[in-house]
Amino acid sequence: MTSTADAQVTSPRSKKHGSFLGRTAGSPLLRLIIRRVLLAVPLLLAVSLLVFILLEAMPGDPARNQAGMDATEDQVEAVRRSMGLDRPAPERYITWLFGFLRGDLGVSSVSGRPVAELLAERLPVTLELVGLAFVLSVVLALPVALLAARKPGGIVDRLIMVFSMTLLAIPNFVMALLLVLVFAVTLQMLPAIGYVPVQVSLVDNLRSVTLPVLALAIPMACFYARFLRGDLGEQLLGAGYIDTARAKGAGIWRILWLHAFRNSSFGLLTLVGLNIGALVGGTVIIEQIFAMPGMGMLMLQGVISLDLAIVQSCVFIFAAVAIFANLFVDIMYAVLDPRIRYGSH
Amino acid sequence: MGQNQSRLENAPILTVENLRVVFSKHGREVQAVNGLNYQLSSGRTLAIIGESGSGKSVGVRSLMGLLPPSAKVTGSVRLNGRELVGLSEKALMSVRGKEIAMIFQDPAASLNPTMNVGSQIMEAIRLHNPMKKREAEVKAIELLKLVRLPSPETRIRQYPHQLSGGMRQRIVIAIALASDPKVLIADEATTALDVTTQAQIMELLVDIQERLGTAVIMISHDIGLAANYAHDVMVMYAGKVVEHANTKSLFSNVQMPYTKALLGAVPQLTTIPHSRLTVIGGHPPDLSNLPTGCPFAPRCPRATNVCTAEEPPLERQNDQHSYACWHPVGGQPLEAAGTADVLKVDAQDGACSESSTSTQERAVFASSLDERAKR
Repeated sequence: MTSTADAQVTSPRSKKHGSFLGRTAGSPLLRLIIRRVLLAVPLLLAVSLLVFILLEAMPGDPARNQAGMDATEDQVEAVRRSMGLDRPAPERYITWLFGFLRGDLGVSSVSGRPVAELLAERLPVTLELVGLAFVLSVVLALPVALLAARKPGGIVDRLIMVFSMTLLAIPNFVMALLLVLVFAVTLQMLPAIGYVPVQVSLVDNLRSVTLPVLALAIPMACFYARFLRGDLGEQLLGAGYIDTARAKGAGIWRILWLHAFRNSSFGLLTLVGLNIGALVGGTVIIEQIFAMPGMGMLMLQGVISLDLAIVQSCVFIFAAVAIFANLFVDIMYAVLDPRIRYGSH
Repeated sequence: MGQNQSRLENAPILTVENLRVVFSKHGREVQAVNGLNYQLSSGRTLAIIGESGSGKSVGVRSLMGLLPPSAKVTGSVRLNGRELVGLSEKALMSVRGKEIAMIFQDPAASLNPTMNVGSQIMEAIRLHNPMKKREAEVKAIELLKLVRLPSPETRIRQYPHQLSGGMRQRIVIAIALASDPKVLIADEATTALDVTTQAQIMELLVDIQERLGTAVIMISHDIGLAANYAHDVMVMYAGKVVEHANTKSLFSNVQMPYTKALLGAVPQLTTIPHSRLTVIGGHPPDLSNLPTGCPFAPRCPRATNVCTAEEPPLERQNDQHSYACWHPVGGQPLEAAGTADVLKVDAQDGACSESSTSTQERAVFASSLDERAKR
């Protein structure tokens, strides 16, 4: 925030510990970001290798699959050669890795189209679903949790807790079917399936994603709301700074928002970060139910047809999204929490 | 110090009458505070001492409505003539911080770790005195100078974790003083600090009290601290006041065996090293099921049948000293209302054995034996 306080606390540290990263100039926050980004690189490499090994271990022969059930052994071998599957696994991994770094993700063996082109079509759909569901789950959880925590044990609190527990207990694919039943079949307000791109019509686009986004976001919002309500309630009961704030003459909303929520936000952030992986995974099922042409659907088709290039890239991108989400959470921690920002001492 | 004169000169700013706090949970009632009566004038310091669970904290928190909803407060608390018990939450908000402020025990916990200390002080200023941020900052720096925090202009932008315990407690005090309160409650304000810092903070509080004329209630289990800094001392046991006196009178003329036991538990410089510390035997009574009679009777070496049968009233020995005991350590014993007094002789060599046979005690002993003989 202020350079004076900042410099005072951190300069002796960075001089003493003259490590490679410690010497990087700039604020401790910037150093932290650089360090975390650099740490993400080996993690991504490890993930890509793991995905490759898993696909190698997968049963079934992609070449046989591609050549067709009636093909002779020679034909299958020819297809195998043309797909490059006759070469040893380490060589294929290295080839895939360098191709990926250049932006060449290989060719889909089923459709014959470049994987990069397919992903460019599918990725925006999934990102829209994940992004909207993410924002909605947090935006729904906040007011609900604050409302419940205002009077712990009160009627509002109890209703919210029971209601959220009920919704939380419903898996997202059941939630999807219930939403379709209510909003598409009975009320006929929203389309049951299909995706309309933004370029066609923004309104229709939003209408088409509303139900899948709700199906993804509602259970998650209940989870966040319950966690946040619990954490806020705990602080109201026992935290010293809450007592201080009350003794100052602050009102309940001010205490909840300015004092309690600020301290709960770190825990919530961790939870949200960990759940991004689950959210991305959830799209695989939700996209099937709502017939959304996204990554999840692409990957599932790839798995069924043993389209290695597609599965490898899709799984890798899913993993990368989860890693970057957690990276973002780590950085947000530092931005929000002065104890990390300035380094504890 | 001229305590007598100041007591006569200053009309009490805070008058507490028959204050009771009952917590009810799952149909069980816990009587945390059972009828407190005291008055406090500007510029005076009242120390409330007692063991953990004696109701000292609950008693002061109830003054400003800082208790959980399960607490039921009855009785009367008048601040400058205004009744505080039964006020709405909204009305209480304008009392908290503005009229009565509070300093809590643990300075590491009582500041919000995610806000810089300046904003926490400025919040306290602006809650009761709406002003621009910049003006509030100027006032906050003034407050930090008042609590003698070095280089306040830099400190104001720092976070609690960057400050030492003593500095944090100074910040907490600055927050408490933000709206110039009439009554300042220090709830074990120096317990979490080391001894030198403790002395500095206490000196600071005394200095501020002299400058601003604030009335101070200090809660402590440290009887020595109370002896050094308070004008009056109130000893609490099981939610009741068992002895209330001017500091000088209390320590020169202890009446209640419990107070005496507390004093006996203080380690002295003259105590032989590595010898066992004196402790008060037994444990405090269950507040959800208070015994009849004197609550201290089961642990008291001087207890007799009358003590377990009838509760001693808080009686005034003189202008400066009241106590609740049938068999006080010194001075005249209170008349037991009609009940025959039988001394439990085996209780005599109890926990606080030191000088247990004063002439007074012998007299009581003899007279009770006489009574027994008569029957």
